[in-house]
Amino acid sequence: MAGDLKELADRAVADILAAADEAAVEAARVKYLGRKGALSEATKGIAKLAAAEKPAYGAALNEAKGRIESALDERGAALRAKVLERDLGAEREDMTLPPRRVRVGRLHPITQTVREVSRIFGSLGFETVEGPEIEWDYYNFEALNIPAGHPAREKWDTLWISNPLGDDPSRPILGRTHTSPMQVRVMEKRKPPIRVVVPGRCYRYEATDAIHESILFQYEGLAIDEKLTMADLKGTLYAFARQVFGSDRKIRFRVDYFPFTEPSAEIAFDCFACEGRDPACRVCGGDGWIEAAGCGMVHPDVLRRVGYDPARYQGFAFGGGIERLAMLRTGAPDIRLFYQNDLRYLEQF
Amino acid sequence: MLIKVPVSWLREYVDITIPIDELALKLHMSSTEVKGIERPWWDDKIRTARVEKLAKHPNADKLQLATVDYGAGAPKTVVTGATNLTEGAIVPYADEGATIIDGHTGERATLRGKPMRGIKSEGMVLSRKELGLGDEHEGIYLLDAKLPVGALLREVLGETILALELQPNRPDCLGVVGIAREVAALLGTSLREPPLERLGAGAPKNLDVRIEDDSACPRFAAALLTGIRIGPSPEWMQARLVAAGMRPIDSVVDITNYVMLELGQPLHAYDHRKLRGSVLVARQARRGESLRTLDGIDRVLPEGTLVIADAERALGVAGILGGEDSEIREDTTTVALECASFEPRGIGRTATKLGLHGSSGSAAARRFSWELSPELVPIALARACRLLREHAGAKVEGVVDRYPNPRPRVNVRMRFSDVPRVMGIDIDPAETLDILRRLQFTAAADGDTLVATPPIVRTDIAIAEDIVEEVGRIAGYERLPTRIPDGPLPLAERHPLEEFRERARDGLAGFGLQEIVSYSLIDPAWLKQLTADGSCIAPEPLRVVNPTTVSQSAARPTLRASLLDTARRNLRHRASVAIFEIAPIYLPRRADLPEERWTIGILLAGNAQPVKDGETWLTPERPFDVRDLQGIVAGLEDLLDVRISGDRRDTPGLHPGRSIAFARSERTYLLVGQLDPRVAETWELPAETFIAEIDLAVWQESSRSPRVAAPPRFPAALRDVAVVVDEATPYGDLEREIRAAGGKDLESVALLDVYRGQQTGAGKKSFAVRLTFRSASGTLGEADVERLLKRIAGRLQHALGATIRD
Repeated sequence: MAGDLKELADRAVADILAAADEAAVEAARVKYLGRKGALSEATKGIAKLAAAEKPAYGAALNEAKGRIESALDERGAALRAKVLERDLGAEREDMTLPPRRVRVGRLHPITQTVREVSRIFGSLGFETVEGPEIEWDYYNFEALNIPAGHPAREKWDTLWISNPLGDDPSRPILGRTHTSPMQVRVMEKRKPPIRVVVPGRCYRYEATDAIHESILFQYEGLAIDEKLTMADLKGTLYAFARQVFGSDRKIRFRVDYFPFTEPSAEIAFDCFACEGRDPACRVCGGDGWIEAAGCGMVHPDVLRRVGYDPARYQGFAFGGGIERLAMLRTGAPDIRLFYQNDLRYLEQF
Repeated sequence: MLIKVPVSWLREYVDITIPIDELALKLHMSSTEVKGIERPWWDDKIRTARVEKLAKHPNADKLQLATVDYGAGAPKTVVTGATNLTEGAIVPYADEGATIIDGHTGERATLRGKPMRGIKSEGMVLSRKELGLGDEHEGIYLLDAKLPVGALLREVLGETILALELQPNRPDCLGVVGIAREVAALLGTSLREPPLERLGAGAPKNLDVRIEDDSACPRFAAALLTGIRIGPSPEWMQARLVAAGMRPIDSVVDITNYVMLELGQPLHAYDHRKLRGSVLVARQARRGESLRTLDGIDRVLPEGTLVIADAERALGVAGILGGEDSEIREDTTTVALECASFEPRGIGRTATKLGLHGSSGSAAARRFSWELSPELVPIALARACRLLREHAGAKVEGVVDRYPNPRPRVNVRMRFSDVPRVMGIDIDPAETLDILRRLQFTAAADGDTLVATPPIVRTDIAIAEDIVEEVGRIAGYERLPTRIPDGPLPLAERHPLEEFRERARDGLAGFGLQEIVSYSLIDPAWLKQLTADGSCIAPEPLRVVNPTTVSQSAARPTLRASLLDTARRNLRHRASVAIFEIAPIYLPRRADLPEERWTIGILLAGNAQPVKDGETWLTPERPFDVRDLQGIVAGLEDLLDVRISGDRRDTPGLHPGRSIAFARSERTYLLVGQLDPRVAETWELPAETFIAEIDLAVWQESSRSPRVAAPPRFPAALRDVAVVVDEATPYGDLEREIRAAGGKDLESVALLDVYRGQQTGAGKKSFAVRLTFRSASGTLGEADVERLLKRIAGRLQHALGATIRD
C-alpha cells in the first residue's frame, strides 16, 4: 500500500514538473490534492487497514503530500519567474533620456576656499574668528607699527571711508587693507595661548587686473604662546601647504619686511604645476616658486601695546590671499571673474 | 621702492666672487628682493668700428657716407645724417640683421639695409637711442677712442643691471654702496668706501644755513662751490645714470643724482646768485606762501610744509621738490649745495598733501620719506664735492654743517640665546659674532650678554629682535627647521552666528541656489533705483572718500541692488536665475564703526522649470512664482529650526500685494515677495522677479536648538474639514486660530484646497484643510476628536466669523 503511495507521488511530481503554465500547475494541484483528488482517495483507504499498519501508511501519506506540495511550489515559482522575466523584458525605458533634474546649487569658490583654509588650520588647532571689514585706522595701521606718514603705508594703498552721520578727523575709518587688524583685536580680548585664523574681506585702493582686485579676501593667522619660534611658523605653513597642494611640496622662506613682525618672511611653495622645470610656466611665472603668504614673529611693540609682556609671550602671524589660493587650486584665470558672478563660470566650481 | 643697480658700479665697492645669478639669489633670499636681472641684449652683429673715411652723399646735402672698419671682413659704407662724425672716431656699428631699437617706434627691430637717396647703407652707425642707452638720437654715440676695433659692443660696453625692490625699513640700501655692504656680508668679502673730498673745518664766507624747526630738519649742511663749468657730465657717469633709470641733464645735476644713487642721500644744488642773504633756511611755510616748483606749477604751500628758503622767500619744498627760480642754469658758476636730513613722516605727509607721494613722487622725496641716517649728510656732501671738483671744475670754498641734537648711537643689549629663542635655529655665539662683524656691526660679548652697535647707516635696528633677524637672515632662513607648535591647545569654538550662517549657506546651496559673492562697494545711484519713486529702502550709506571708480563708492546698506544686477547680467544669456548671497550690510552708527549686519539675500527669476534651459520633454516650462520663493524660505526655517513671528512690516520696493515682512524690535528680519514690477523694469528684469532678505542675527536668536522626541507610539486621527471665511481673511489667520484651539493634540494642519464658488456664496472662500490629531498619551477616540473639532469650530466662529461646512 505504501508502495502505491510512492508511485502516486512519483507520477504527480512528474506531472507537475511537466506543467507548461500556471493553469496546468493548478490543474495538477486539483487532480492530486483536491477534495476529490488522488491523495484524498488514498487517504480514505486508511480506514481499511489494520491498526498496526496505520502509522506506516499515515507516514507514507504525509510524505507523498509533502513531495507533491513542494513540487507544486517549485514549479509555480519557476513559471512565475519566467513570466516576470518575460514581462520585465518587455518594459523597456530608454535610460539614456535626460532625467527629471533637480536644481544643483554650489558654493562660491571664495566660500569654498575660505572653508578649506579654516578646515586645515582648524586641524592644526586654529580657531576661525572674524572681524569688522570697515575698521579704525588705529587697528589697521597704528597698532601695527604703521603710523601716519610711515613709508610702509605705500604697501597698503587705502580706501578711506566717510560716515554720513559724521566723521571724526582724529579717528579715521577705512576699508581694512588686510586682515591683520584682527591680530590686535583678538589679543586685546584674550590671553595666551592663542591660535586663530581670520578669513575676511579687505579693500585696497588699487587698479584691477587679472591678478589684482580692489575688493579681495585674505586670511590671517596668529599664534601666541611662550615658546613659539620661526620654526613653528615654518612647520605650520608647511603643513598647510602640503594639505592644499599635496604632500610633496617644498617650502621656501625668504626674508621680508612687515612693520608688525620681526623677523619677517615671505613664504613660497615650489610650483606644483611645473615643479620648477618650465621657464614659461603660467602658474609660477617660470621661477619655480609661488609666493603665498607674508609672515613673521609678532613684533614686541605690538605685543606690548595690547598689554602682553614680550619677555614672556612670543608668537607668529601670517597672512595670504584667498583668491590666490583659489586660483592656484582651480586654475581660475582671472581674479575679477570671481566677482562678476557669471553663473556659467561659477557652476564649474 | 624699485632701484636699478649696474653690476659694474657694484663691483667698484665690493668684490663679487660668484656668478651674478647666484649673487642675485643670495640677495633675494636675505631680504633684497631681486625683481629681475637685465643683461645686455646686443647681439654679435653690433661691434665697435672706426670711421675710416667720410664723404658727401652725391644726392643729398644732409647725408654723409661713412666708411667704417668693424674688424670683420671688408670695410662697410653706411649712409648717415649725423654731423658729429670725424675720421678716426670709434663708434658702435650694427651690421645688417642686427637687433637695434627703432628710432621711431622705440621697439626692438631687425636692421635692414636699405637705399637712402640711391645709395644702399650696408649697416648703421648708432646713436645712444638705437642701443637703448637714452633718448639721444641726433648724434652718433662716440666711444672711448682707446677701445679696440671689432670688439663685441656687449663685451666692452654692456652692463648687467640688477632690478631690486627695497623695503622701507632699509634706507641704507637705497644706494649702490648699501647694496655693496649687503653683498660683502653675504660673501664675506670686504667693502670699499667711495672716495671723499677732504673738507676743512672752514665755513664759507658767502653761505650759511639755519634750522628753524629741528624736529622736521635734524641736520642741514651745505657747501659753497665756485668756478663751476656747466656742461655734460662724463660719458661713464651718464651711462650709469641711464642704466640706473635716470636721465642725464648737466654736470651738476648729474653729480647730485649720481651721489644719491650711490649713497642713497639726495642733494639739491642752488644757483648761488639767486640766494637772497646768502643763506639757506629750513623753516615751516608761512600762511599763504606760494612757490613755482621745478615742474612749472605754482603751488600754494599747505601750512606746516617744511620749506628751504633764503632770507626772504621759499626756494623749494624741503626734500620733495625744488623751486624753478633757483635752479641750476647753463651760466651758473657758483653753487650752494644742500645736503640735509629730514623727518621722514613729515616728508611722507607733505608729499601726500601735494599729490607727490609714492611712485608719483620725486626720487628724492621717495628716499626722504624713509628714515635716512643723518650721518650720511657729511659723507654725501664730501662725495659730491669731490666729483664736482673732478668733473665740473668746482673749487670747494667751504662747508657748513648744522646738527644741533646729534642722535645717540644705538646699542642693543641682548642675550646670545635670543637668537635661537626667536629663530628656532641653533646659531652659536661665535657665528652670531661673525655675522654681525660681516654686517659691519660692532659687537661686544660678555658671557651670554651681547651688545651690538649697528653701522651708522642702519636706522632700522633698535631692539633684540632686529639683531636676531640680521643674524638669521645672513645665516639663511633655509636653515630653519620645521616644527609643529605643541603646548596646550586653545579652546576652539566658532562664534554661534558664524556657525549658523554656514548652515544657512549649505542649506540654500542644497535647495539648488547658486551662491554669489559680489562687490561690497556699489554705485550709490543703485540705491535710488530700488523703489518706483526713488525713495530709499536703506539708510544713507557710508561713502568711500577716494573711490577707484564711482561704481564702487558706497558701502552697500542692502544686498538687493547687487542681486538685481547679477540677475540682470545673467538673464541675458540664460532663462533661469536662482541665486543667493550671504554678506554683511553696512549700517552707519554715530561716532562708531558701522554695524556690519549679516544678511541673506535670495533672488529667483525666469524659469523654475525646466532646470536645464530648453529641456522640456518631461516638465513643461513654468516660471518661478512667489510660492517657490516662500518654499525656499520655509525650507530654511525648517532646516535652521527658526520660528517666524513678530509684527508685520511694509515692504518698500516690493509688489505691495505679493510681499510680506516681519519685524522684531523695529528690525525687519524677514522680507519675502515679488519685486515691484516698475523696479524690475528699471533693472531690465522680468516683471516676476522674487526677492527675499533675511537678517541672520535675528534668525539665529529665533532658532531653538531642536528638542527631540521618540517617534509617536499612538495612531493619528485624520479629519478633513472645509472652512468658509470672508474673502479678506488670510489663510495664516485661519491656521493660527486652528492651532490655538487644537492645542497639543493637534499635530498638523495641511491645506488641501482653496475654493470659491456658488456653494460658498459671494465674498466668501472656502479652505479645505486636513487636521491630524494625535495624543502622546494614548489613542484618541471618536469622542475626543469630536470634542477637539467642536472647540476649533467655536474658535473659528468667534475669532473669524468662519463656518465649518460639512
